[in-house]
Amino acid sequence: MDTKIKIGDLILKNPITVASGTAGYGEEMNTFFDISRLGAIFTKGLSLQPRKGNYGNRVLETPSGLLNSIGLENVGVEEFLDKKLPFLLSKGATPIPNIAGHTIEENIELCKILSNTKGIDAVELNVSCPNVKQGGMAFGTNMEIFCDLIKKARKATSCALIVKLSPNVTDVASFAIAAEELGADAVSAVNTFLGMKIDIKTGKPHFNNKVAGLSGPAIKPMAVRIVYQVYEKIKIPIIGQGGISSLEDTLEFIMAGASAISIGTANLIEPSISVNILDELQNYMIENKISAISDIIGLAH
Amino acid sequence: MAILLDKPQEVSQEHFLLKIAMKGANFAPGQFINIKTTEGTDPLLRRPFSIFDAEGDIAHIIVRVVGRGTSLISKMEKGEINVLGPLGKGFTLEKNKNLLLVGGGVGNAPLYFLARELKNRGNKLTYIYAAKTKNYIFYEDLYRGLVDEFLLFTDDGSAGTKGVPTEMARDIISGSGFERVYCCGPDPMMEKVVNMASASAAVEVSMENYFGCGVGLCMGCTVDTIHGFKRACMDGPVFNGREVIWSKE
Repeated sequence: MDTKIKIGDLILKNPITVASGTAGYGEEMNTFFDISRLGAIFTKGLSLQPRKGNYGNRVLETPSGLLNSIGLENVGVEEFLDKKLPFLLSKGATPIPNIAGHTIEENIELCKILSNTKGIDAVELNVSCPNVKQGGMAFGTNMEIFCDLIKKARKATSCALIVKLSPNVTDVASFAIAAEELGADAVSAVNTFLGMKIDIKTGKPHFNNKVAGLSGPAIKPMAVRIVYQVYEKIKIPIIGQGGISSLEDTLEFIMAGASAISIGTANLIEPSISVNILDELQNYMIENKISAISDIIGLAH
Repeated sequence: MAILLDKPQEVSQEHFLLKIAMKGANFAPGQFINIKTTEGTDPLLRRPFSIFDAEGDIAHIIVRVVGRGTSLISKMEKGEINVLGPLGKGFTLEKNKNLLLVGGGVGNAPLYFLARELKNRGNKLTYIYAAKTKNYIFYEDLYRGLVDEFLLFTDDGSAGTKGVPTEMARDIISGSGFERVYCCGPDPMMEKVVNMASASAAVEVSMENYFGCGVGLCMGCTVDTIHGFKRACMDGPVFNGREVIWSKE
């Protein structure tokens, strides 16, 4: 049974990964299961300096969903390289750092540092961060700025480059096409959808940042639709994500066109769900006589 | 898999006692367990509850019904229940000291388990129990029978002294005789108790933040401290009250 997936020169041992921001740096998850079993761990979005993140409310449950406004709290690249990466590698995990710089320059610097580090064979560029030098709009929602960032990031990255697409645009596929043309090795689809909560007692937004990212089962049908649409337009692998909580969800994304999938919000409820789904996927392949995962990628088209 | 041993028992208005067997678990006062309220995705997140008491590997918790998730828990049938835990870091267990415990509302729950363990260690305990109204008070007799001095307050005066202890019991809370003060309740109450406590007393508070995951993954339950942001679920829920920065920007 072949569950391997190739992203650039990186080979994932299986298509089940955990999404950035829901897995920390692997330390907590490793108390629940052997993190080396995962295809990859996308670690918490990194900046050059440590980031404290947002004050006030940070998470809120919605019907089958979760709004978050964490503000990319992270340890910074130095501590990541000193402490977090050695831990991940010592456990035999496949870490893919998520890069969450707030300027083009910061993102490029992070691409350079991380891609030249032993043990890192892929990085994921989070283009949903606010672009602080150009009005604070996310890089991933303006085609011109997006292309400028990807072009420079590609040049600065000596390993596989994965671009995590924002769903908060009219046509996600056009951004996926641009990423492929500019040399990305894969895309992650998709990041959280912008949402909002008004506190009716105070009459004000619940989050200090006003808007927040919506994840969880509530966004799954929209994420499946985006993966399906993107698959028709690009040849590079898609890492599907958005509310995956079961084997059935995983298969839906793979059949829509994802080569690998990331579990996100579901990790917060069942910390071992990713390896449980991996076991179920392997059983499913045996029972249905599927010899290679590639046999069912994009089956729905 | 954990087992809910009986149907939840109503112990006061809106408050329910659950006894949950968790094979092999060891509980410490101040720790919590995280319960999935239903199968499926709505409600999505687990709900955290501090441990009210423990008999071996059986946790007792008090659930206050505040919304749909807690309402579902209060109506559970006995049998299998999806629980993670025990989680988090608990209270410091002193020996042979003079100690004060201050609980507000359902925040009294973890302080019962704490008081029991402290009593086993030869401590002298003063307990301040605050509740909104008489009907919300649970197990008054158990608390009263356990500690050396028991003081009861209700906002409306329907039981004990009328008013909040941070107004009506300032002299006691700020007394210099206590070597440690433990507090669990609403944030404004805990902040006042920390500021009021004698400078010579250590103060521990148990934070009641909104938790995303309860296992340190989501960074949602942040507590601001003089040592930076901490996760209530992993670094707490019990914190040194003097290190918490109470007013948020």
